[in-house]
Amino acid sequence: MASDLAYGLLPDHLLLALVLVLMLLETVGATERLASLLLRLALLAGCAVLWQQLATGYAAEPLPGEIGIDRFALLAKLVILACGLLWSLVFPGGTYKSALLAGSSLLGALVIMDSAGFILLFLGIEMLSLPAFALIVHGAGRGTAAEGAFKYLLLSAVASASMLFGIALGYGVTGSLAIAPFAEAVRAGAPPAVAAGLLVASGLFLKAAVFPFHGWAPDAYSGARLHVTGLLASIVKGTVILALVRIFGTVGLNAETTAVVVVLAMLSIFYGNFAAIKQRSFKRLIAYSSIAHAGYMVFALVDTTGSRASDLLWYVAIYASTVIVACAAFAVLCPGEGDDVQALDGAFGARPVTALVFGLAMLSLAGIPPLPGFFAKLFVFTSVVASGYLAAAAVAFVGSFIGVTYYLALSFRLFAGDAHTAPAERVPTRGGS
Amino acid sequence: MGESVTPWLLLVVPLLGAIVASLSPRGSWLARASAMAAMLVVLALSLRLFLAYEPAADASRFDFNLPWMPALGINLHFAVDGFNVYLVLLAALLFPVVLGCSWHSPHTPRRLYLALMLVLESSLVGTFLSQNAVLFFVFWEAVLIPAGVLILVYGGDNRRRAAITFFLYTMAGSVLLLAAVIGLGAEALGQTGQWSFELGVLYGLRLDWNMQMFVFVAIMLACLVKVPLVPFHAWLPLAYYEAPAPVTALLAGALSKMGAYGILKLALPLAPDVAAAAATPMAVLAVTSLLYGAVLALRETDYKRLIAYSSLSHMGYVVLGLFILRETALHGALLQMLSHGVAVAGLFALLGVLEQRLGPAYRQATALSSAAPRFAVWSMVFVLTTVALPLTSGFTAEFLILFGAFAQGLAAWQAHAGALPLVVALLALTGMVIGATYMLRYARAILFGTDNGAHRIADLRPMEIASLLPLLLVILVIGIAPAAVMGKAESAVAQLATARTLAVSALPAAPEPAGIGGTHGK
Repeated sequence: MASDLAYGLLPDHLLLALVLVLMLLETVGATERLASLLLRLALLAGCAVLWQQLATGYAAEPLPGEIGIDRFALLAKLVILACGLLWSLVFPGGTYKSALLAGSSLLGALVIMDSAGFILLFLGIEMLSLPAFALIVHGAGRGTAAEGAFKYLLLSAVASASMLFGIALGYGVTGSLAIAPFAEAVRAGAPPAVAAGLLVASGLFLKAAVFPFHGWAPDAYSGARLHVTGLLASIVKGTVILALVRIFGTVGLNAETTAVVVVLAMLSIFYGNFAAIKQRSFKRLIAYSSIAHAGYMVFALVDTTGSRASDLLWYVAIYASTVIVACAAFAVLCPGEGDDVQALDGAFGARPVTALVFGLAMLSLAGIPPLPGFFAKLFVFTSVVASGYLAAAAVAFVGSFIGVTYYLALSFRLFAGDAHTAPAERVPTRGGS
Repeated sequence: MGESVTPWLLLVVPLLGAIVASLSPRGSWLARASAMAAMLVVLALSLRLFLAYEPAADASRFDFNLPWMPALGINLHFAVDGFNVYLVLLAALLFPVVLGCSWHSPHTPRRLYLALMLVLESSLVGTFLSQNAVLFFVFWEAVLIPAGVLILVYGGDNRRRAAITFFLYTMAGSVLLLAAVIGLGAEALGQTGQWSFELGVLYGLRLDWNMQMFVFVAIMLACLVKVPLVPFHAWLPLAYYEAPAPVTALLAGALSKMGAYGILKLALPLAPDVAAAAATPMAVLAVTSLLYGAVLALRETDYKRLIAYSSLSHMGYVVLGLFILRETALHGALLQMLSHGVAVAGLFALLGVLEQRLGPAYRQATALSSAAPRFAVWSMVFVLTTVALPLTSGFTAEFLILFGAFAQGLAAWQAHAGALPLVVALLALTGMVIGATYMLRYARAILFGTDNGAHRIADLRPMEIASLLPLLLVILVIGIAPAAVMGKAESAVAQLATARTLAVSALPAAPEPAGIGGTHGK
C-alpha cells in the first residue's frame, strides 16, 4: 500500500519535488539556467519511471475509489510528460517562475490521470489550470495578456462550478464520489445521471474550448507568449480531453450524451476551421485550429467499440507534439513578439530546415497523409465509423478539408516571393487567350 | 525474398535518392547525378518487373506484404497486378526522361527541386502499387505535397494561385474517398469480424446498393477531379500552365493516370452494380469532356494550354474506355493511359526545351523545322501519336476504345436499349477528327510557318535525344506489336470484365435498370 503510494505516484512526487526545489532555488537566487535544466531532468526521470512501470505491467489502487493507477493512466501520464519534455526542450530558456508554473501544471495533469474519485480529479483540474493563468500573464507585460488570463480565469470558474454541480448531482444519484459508479449511472441513462454527466462534460468541454464554450481561447492564446500558447493548446487541452476518458471510460455513452457530443463536435470542427481561415495572427490561428481539433477529439467519445482510449491517446500525443513543434518552429522563423503570419513569407530561403519542419507540422495538423496527423484522425474516424456514424464522419471530413485551406496557405507562405529559389527566367506575359 | 521486395524497392530507391540529393552540397553535380541514378535504378527495376511479370504465373511473385497496423488490418502491401504493371513502367519511364530533357534547365541543379521530384516519383509509384485501401489513400494524397510545392516554387507568375487551386481542388475531391475507405473497412469488420483494408478482402464483400452508391460516388469524385473530366477540370489549365514544363509533363503524363487507375482499381470492382448502372451517364460525361477539351484546344493559341486541353480531351477517351464495360475497350483504356502518358509527356518536355532556349518568347516560336530539324522530327513523332496515326500507340489505343464503344452501341441498339451508347461512340469519333485538326495546326504553327529569323535556336542535344528515345520505343512497340504488351493485362482485364458481367446479370433486383452493361451480360 505504502509502496504503491510511493512507487505508483513516483512521477508525481518527482514533479512535486521539482516545484519545491525550484521555489527554494529562486529564493536563494541561483542562476536561471538551472531552471529549465531541472525541469527537463524531472520530466525525463518521470518518463523513465513510467516506461519502467509500463514495461512491467504495473497497476495498483493505493486508495480504492480515490487513487487508481491502470494502464491508461500510465500511458496518459507518459504522453503528458513526454510532451512536456518536448516542450521544455524546444523552448529553451525560461525563468524559475515559468518552469515552476509549468511543472505545477503538469503535476495537476498527472493527478487527474491518477484519480479514481472526483475529489482528486477536481483537485487535478484546478492544479492544471491555475498555473496556466499565471503563465499567461508571466513575462508578457501587456494588457492583452491580463485580459486573456482574466477571461480564462472567469470561464474556468464557470467550468468548475458546472463540474461541481454535476459531481453533486452524481453524488445524489450514486451516493459515492468515486468515478466508476458515476460513469455506470451515466451510462444507464436515468435523467438526473444524464444531467450530471452533461454538466461534468460541459465543464471539461469549456476547459478544452469546444464550441460553444470556446470564447476564452482566442484571447487567452493570443495574449500569452508563444511558448505558453504552445503549452495551452497542446498539453493542457490534451489533458482535459484525456480527463474525459478518465471519467467516462471506454464503453459507449447513453443516447442523449452521444447526440450532444456529435453536434458539439461538428460545430467545433466547422466553427474552428472557418474562423481560423481569416486569422492573421498565428496565435489566434492556433487557438481556432485547436477548437477544431478539440472537435475531432470529442468526436471520438461517440465510439462504442472500446477503442476510445487508445484513439485519444494517439490523437493527443500526435496533436500535442505537433502543436509544440509548430509553435517552436514559428518562434525560430519569426523571432520577436510579433506573430503575424506574413512574417513567414519566404522563410524557406532563410532557414530551410526549420521551415520544412514548420510546413510539415502544418500539413500534419491538416491531416494530410503520410504525416502523423493523418493517422491520428484515421484512428478516431475508424472507430467512429465502426460505431455507425458514417454520415457524421463524412461531415467531419468536409470540415477537416476546410481546415486544410489555412494550414496549406501557411505552409505555402514559406515559399512565397522567395528570391533564392525563383527561377532566373520568369515568364512575364500571358500568351494565348 | 528476392523478387518480392522489388515493389518495395521501387518506393525506397527514390526516397534514398531524395535524401542524397538534398544532402549534397549546393550547386554540386552530385545532386543531379544521384537523382538521375535513383530514377534509372527505378526504371531498370520496373522494366525487369514488367518483362518478368507473367499474369498466369504465381501471383505472389512480386508481392510485398508486411503488417503495419494489424489491429486495423492496414498492411504495407505492394504488389504488381495486371492493371498497375503498365503504370509503374510509365511512371518509372517518365521521370528520368523528363529529368534528362530538362538536364540543362536552371531549376535542375536545385536540391529542393530534385528531392521533390524523387518524392513525387516514390509516392506516385506507391499509389499504383498499393494493394491496401488505406495505403492507397495515403499515397494518393501524399502525391499532392511534392506536386503542389513544385508548382508553388518553380511555377510561373501565378504559381501561388495555381498551386493552391491544384492542391485544394484535388484534395476536395478526395474528402469523401477516405470516408468511403473507412466505411469499407467497417463493412469488412461487420462481415468478416475483423478490420481489413486489404483490397483483396474488400473486393469480396457483399455491399448493398446504398453502400455501393456511396462508395462509387466518393471514389468517382476523387478520381474525376484527378483525371480530370469536365466539370471537375477547373484546376487543370491553371496548374498545367503555371507549372514548369517538366512538372507539367509529369502532371499530364503520369499524375492524371492516377485518377483513371483509381476508377479501374477501386470504383469498378468495389461497386460493380452501381458502376454498371452508371456506365452510360459516365460515358456521356467522358465524351462531353473529350469534346470540350478538343474544342478548347482548337481555339487555343498558346502552345502550353493547347497541349493541356488536348490532354483533357485524351483522358476523356480513357474514362470512356473504362465505362464501355467490354474487354476490348478496357484494353484500349489501359493502352491509352500508357500511350497518352508517353506522348503528352514528350510534347511538354519538348516545350520545356523550347522554353529553356527561348525564354518567354517560346510562345511566339515558329518555323522551327528549318532552325531545329531534330526538334521538329521529335515534335512530329509525338503529334502523330496524339492524332492516333496507325502504327503508333495512339492508334492502337483509340481504335480499341472506339471499337468497344461501337460494339457496345450496336448491341444496345439491337437490344432496343436506346441509341445513346451509339451516339456516344459517334461523338467520340468526332473528337478524333477534331483532335487531328488541332494537333496538326499546332505542328504547323510551331514547326512550319514563315521563318522570320528571330528564333535561331540550338537544336536538341544528344542528352535530350537520348532521353526521348525510350518514349519512341514505347510508341512503336504498342503501335506495331501491342499483343505482347496487352498480354500482361489480359487476365486482369478478363477477370474484371467477367466479374462485372456476372454482377450485371445478377442485377434484376436492383432498383435501377442496368443500362448498357445489361445488354453486355446476355
